Amino acid sequence: MAIPGEGRSRVFDEVLLSVENISLSFGGVRALSDISFDIRKGEIRAIIGPNGAGKSSMLNCINGFYHPQQGAITYKGVRRARMRPHEAAAQGIARTFQNIALFKGMSTLDNIMTGRNLRMKSGLFWQALRIGPAAREEIEHRRVVERIIDFLEIQHIRKAPVGQLPYGLQKRVELGRALAAEPELLLLDEPMAGMNLEEKQDMCRFVLDVNDEFGTTICLIEHDMGVVMDISDRVVVLDYGRKIGDGVPDTVKNDKAVIEAYLGVSH
Amino acid sequence: MFYREAGQYKASYGADQAIFPIAQDRFVVLAGMAVAFLVVPFLASEYTYRAVLIPTVILTLAAIGLNVLMGYCGQVSLGSGAFMGVGAYAAFNLAIRLPFLNPLVCILLSGFVAAAIGIAFGIPSLRIKGFYLACATLAAQFFGDWAFLRIKWVTNHTPSGSVNAPPIQMFGYDLSSPTATYLIALTITIVLGLAAKNIVRGHIGRQWMAIRDMDIAAEIIGVRPLFAKLSAFAVSSFLIGVAGAMWAFLYLGSWEPAAFSIDRSFQLMFMVIIGGLGSILGSALGAIFIVLLPIFLNQALPPLGALIGWKISTATVSHFESMIFGALIVFFLVVEPHGLARLWSVAKEKLRLWPFPH
Ligand SMILES: Nc1ncnc2c1ncn2[C@@H]1O[C@H](COP(=O)(O)OP(=O)(O)O)[C@@H](O)[C@H]1O
Ligand SMILES: [Mg+2]
Repeated sequence: MAIPGEGRSRVFDEVLLSVENISLSFGGVRALSDISFDIRKGEIRAIIGPNGAGKSSMLNCINGFYHPQQGAITYKGVRRARMRPHEAAAQGIARTFQNIALFKGMSTLDNIMTGRNLRMKSGLFWQALRIGPAAREEIEHRRVVERIIDFLEIQHIRKAPVGQLPYGLQKRVELGRALAAEPELLLLDEPMAGMNLEEKQDMCRFVLDVNDEFGTTICLIEHDMGVVMDISDRVVVLDYGRKIGDGVPDTVKNDKAVIEAYLGVSH
Repeated sequence: MFYREAGQYKASYGADQAIFPIAQDRFVVLAGMAVAFLVVPFLASEYTYRAVLIPTVILTLAAIGLNVLMGYCGQVSLGSGAFMGVGAYAAFNLAIRLPFLNPLVCILLSGFVAAAIGIAFGIPSLRIKGFYLACATLAAQFFGDWAFLRIKWVTNHTPSGSVNAPPIQMFGYDLSSPTATYLIALTITIVLGLAAKNIVRGHIGRQWMAIRDMDIAAEIIGVRPLFAKLSAFAVSSFLIGVAGAMWAFLYLGSWEPAAFSIDRSFQLMFMVIIGGLGSILGSALGAIFIVLLPIFLNQALPPLGALIGWKISTATVSHFESMIFGALIVFFLVVEPHGLARLWSVAKEKLRLWPFPH
């Protein structure tokens, strides 16, 4: 899939989120040291680096799951204080996990419907009667969710309990759940890990389509360099919790430090 | 052959989201309700009402309440007996302190008192889970036992500690006959059971299940754990509270605090586990099963024993009962956590494919 030299030369100016001098440690383990970078509105930003480099920890800081000891995150121009994950979600940040985190006891449809919970407002009383606003709301959101199901081509597993689905489909459902929130910033933690070539190609297509069609800003972690070079606009490279590279794929690919730390080792 | 959804195309999302999307299910449910409301009253004896029908109907509602919390929201509770007690004593106090209220209104209002107290005792769930939460709810149970016995105001300073329910009547008609009592309990249980079913299949129910299945992921897509957990405690306690008030007013008539002890909590938990965690229908199946099993054993074991020349006393029967419950709990926990409700849906699935198994 990797065609050398083929990047996407798009230019973005508006900063959506910026990370300034973030440091995070767990006891004695330093997961992130003094990291700064930004994510611009509309771009596909990749984070790469060897295992344990701190990539997942970085996403966890962005969506409020981890709280860095130092540094600050500014999102949509607001420097934010400590926030909980559901507050980040309310501000338009959605994500998927490296190890799938679906609701195993629920169907595909219900998992994706849950992604819309922030937009569903009718109270307990109407819910209990399921008439009026509750009924209308349920149908309105079902319509949106069905569009996502069509988009991801998972109509056939709509009613299936997600626990029984194969790995690749579970990843797709998880993407669907994140998309259902109609996020402004979508964080994808290794969306293609463990997939075969065909599944990877499908997933790449979905990521690109989401970015094109809905203008969603995407920040993704990925190991497959071919994929990264193909689909991302800019790349951040982490190694042992430090940032060792940042720029368009072509620049990063030819950077000496990056080649030594990462590219040289595994590819 | 007969149980099929083939040919029943859903033309709208509304139809697909109906409470019983398959026509045969709708038919079975309507037929069941017709039998319960129209046929049973002509057949049931006073004994059947008092020993079987009324307790089953009321405990079904309590089991639905516990299932909302345990089966849907994944929060363990050993305090459901106390919450039935809260409902019972709340209804009692409303009835004696506001005598102009109809006792049936008191029963329904008692649910709100139970919900408020449920929210208070649900607060620890924001911090602790599983075993520790079970211990915290056990504390709620013991607190209830203590309060019903020692806070004299709760029992209106009755010296014996035993209190009486007001007679049930409406518009001057006496409604204390077994048939009327049964129909009242059945109506309340069905209405609130359907309300619970509606809530669990809507967005609030999905939030509960999300918290149950993976609380971290739930929070990351915007579910507020505080709201989700406390609303589950509130709805659950409401239903259990109303069931407790019915238990007191419609079944016991006069009662002592021991009626709402830890034994009741365990009984409800068994109903939910045997019936099926996360199923409203299962709650009813569990209640039916647990009310009927002892009656069945009492009838069936002594003659069976006599066949092989073995005299079985009442004590032996109750030992058998405990053993069978124990074995069933282990079986369902290990083999089929979704309980009787799952066995039922497996049977339906088989029926859907019958007579062509593949
Ligand atoms: N919750 C945690 N507790 C302790 N250590 C953690 C935790 N999360 C991450 N780490 C540590 O932080 C480092 C970076 O991990 P991670 O962000 O998962 O790396 P990556 O996603 O790049 O593989 C690792 O050394 C890991 O052990
Ligand atoms: Mg990782």
